[in-house]
Amino acid sequence: MDALIQLIFFLTLLTLGYVFGKIAEKKHYRSIIEREKQWMQIPTTSGRRVLGTDREVKRVQLATGSVVISVDYFKRILAGLRNIFGGNVQSYETLVDRARREAVLRMKESCPQADQIINLRLETASISKGNKNQIGSVEVLAYGTAVYLYPASTAATSP
Amino acid sequence: MHPSSEYRPGLPEQNDNVSHNHPLKEFAVLLSGVTAFLLLAAWSLGLLVDWAASFISPEMEAVIFSSMRFSGAALFVQQKDDPRRAELQRLVDELGRCNEVGYPLQVNMAQSKDANAFAFPGGRIIVLEGLLDTMRSENGLSFVLAHEMAHFKHRDHLRGMGRGLVFTALSALLTGAGSDITQLVAPALGVGQARYSQEREALADKLALETLHCFYGHVGGATEFFEAMQEESGKQGRGIGGYFASHPEAVQRIDALRSLAAASGFTVRETFRLSTVLVPDTSSQ
Amino acid sequence: MLLTNTEEIPGKRITAFYGVVSGSTVRAKHAGRDIMAGFKNIFGGELKGYTELLQESRDEAIKRMKAQARQLGANAVVNVRFSTSSVAAGAAEIYVYGTAVTVE
Repeated sequence: MDALIQLIFFLTLLTLGYVFGKIAEKKHYRSIIEREKQWMQIPTTSGRRVLGTDREVKRVQLATGSVVISVDYFKRILAGLRNIFGGNVQSYETLVDRARREAVLRMKESCPQADQIINLRLETASISKGNKNQIGSVEVLAYGTAVYLYPASTAATSP
Repeated sequence: MHPSSEYRPGLPEQNDNVSHNHPLKEFAVLLSGVTAFLLLAAWSLGLLVDWAASFISPEMEAVIFSSMRFSGAALFVQQKDDPRRAELQRLVDELGRCNEVGYPLQVNMAQSKDANAFAFPGGRIIVLEGLLDTMRSENGLSFVLAHEMAHFKHRDHLRGMGRGLVFTALSALLTGAGSDITQLVAPALGVGQARYSQEREALADKLALETLHCFYGHVGGATEFFEAMQEESGKQGRGIGGYFASHPEAVQRIDALRSLAAASGFTVRETFRLSTVLVPDTSSQ
Repeated sequence: MLLTNTEEIPGKRITAFYGVVSGSTVRAKHAGRDIMAGFKNIFGGELKGYTELLQESRDEAIKRMKAQARQLGANAVVNVRFSTSSVAAGAAEIYVYGTAVTVE
């Protein structure tokens, strides 16, 4: 009887995790796609040079964006099962994908006036690593150099 | 700088970084896979344990479990000078003439309101006081004792212990001890183990019935304990919980015993009253 | 599809750039491999299963990044960087990103 109560409790958590996790994920993806379109006009590269323009650089600034996203109970269980058999852990794919895109977006939102962001780097921290009762969360930091350029007309007259 | 290169903004139409399989489908496939694997592993390991148990001779068992603490029986308070203990010991020894277990059995009493008895490795039978309050006839008590003796004869105590050990190790090895996955597959293993355990109980009931017939010449009182249990738990069934129980339902056991007695041609006659030593002292309560 | 971890590709000229593209994987080995790796940990030496796992994950991540770049119309990815995360215990998480460009 004890095992049965445990099972019911467990299934409830699983269902709650699945339903709310799915809703949250859908909502997040909608927001990500919309904002990505909005911020598409700031060219972002992983290189050290400003590309695509001959305008002079006015000033530069470090831009950062970070996010911590946790995975729902259902996906955590699914990942645990996948761990037994091996292969792609699909339930975590959306988690890391969302976290990285969100971090980059937040970085862009921190410097809305920038003309370009160069030398983009992504770093993951781990709050819960080594913790036995692990919280399945991912922490991403996106950072890069926001470049502000002189307008095209002044570029011609600048030394 | 590359003034000549041109920025062409764009976003990938399709997200290649995520798989588009349905998670519920993946879940179903993986869960059935791991359950099937575990059941198979548990079944074959169970057979291995049974085989290994047959190699442990009673002498070896007595040596291994000579310490009370090790066998688990120490969980129960024992009263060595209890006259009821001596009476129960006498009963077990006499029943032993009809059901040769192969090594000495030792009866211990334990204080508990529950009506039950247990078989522990090392030949120890623990009788809870509540059992004596419940039983009316010596025949009924003999049946319960004979049932525990049958467990020793079948070496169920070793099998049960071995299985518990093996299953815990198996699930811990696969998923890490106490992880959530263990919780998920535990019911499947639990059902499998309960079925096995119920089977062993039925076999022990059968042998106990035969012992009872050999000892008294009839099987009166065989169902007394289960009838008392049934009365206590009420008429309602256990529902789905029955699949997880280690013992068959009392009604089923009564039916099984009756049909078994009928098939073997065992008769039911007058039962003996419980020896006065064993009758609980009502004045003190 | 050309991949480099340098600013530009020697002898080629970047004519267009599209922004950052990325590929990621989270991949695990089956429990048997994990157990064997646990034993191997006692004696030391290369954990072949895990080397293989990392290689597979990296290949898959690169494949996904290339697919993204292709969708944008790029023919090369420069400034490629690798990164890892650690969400799932016992799984390799590889992230690769770079700037999608067109070279000629």
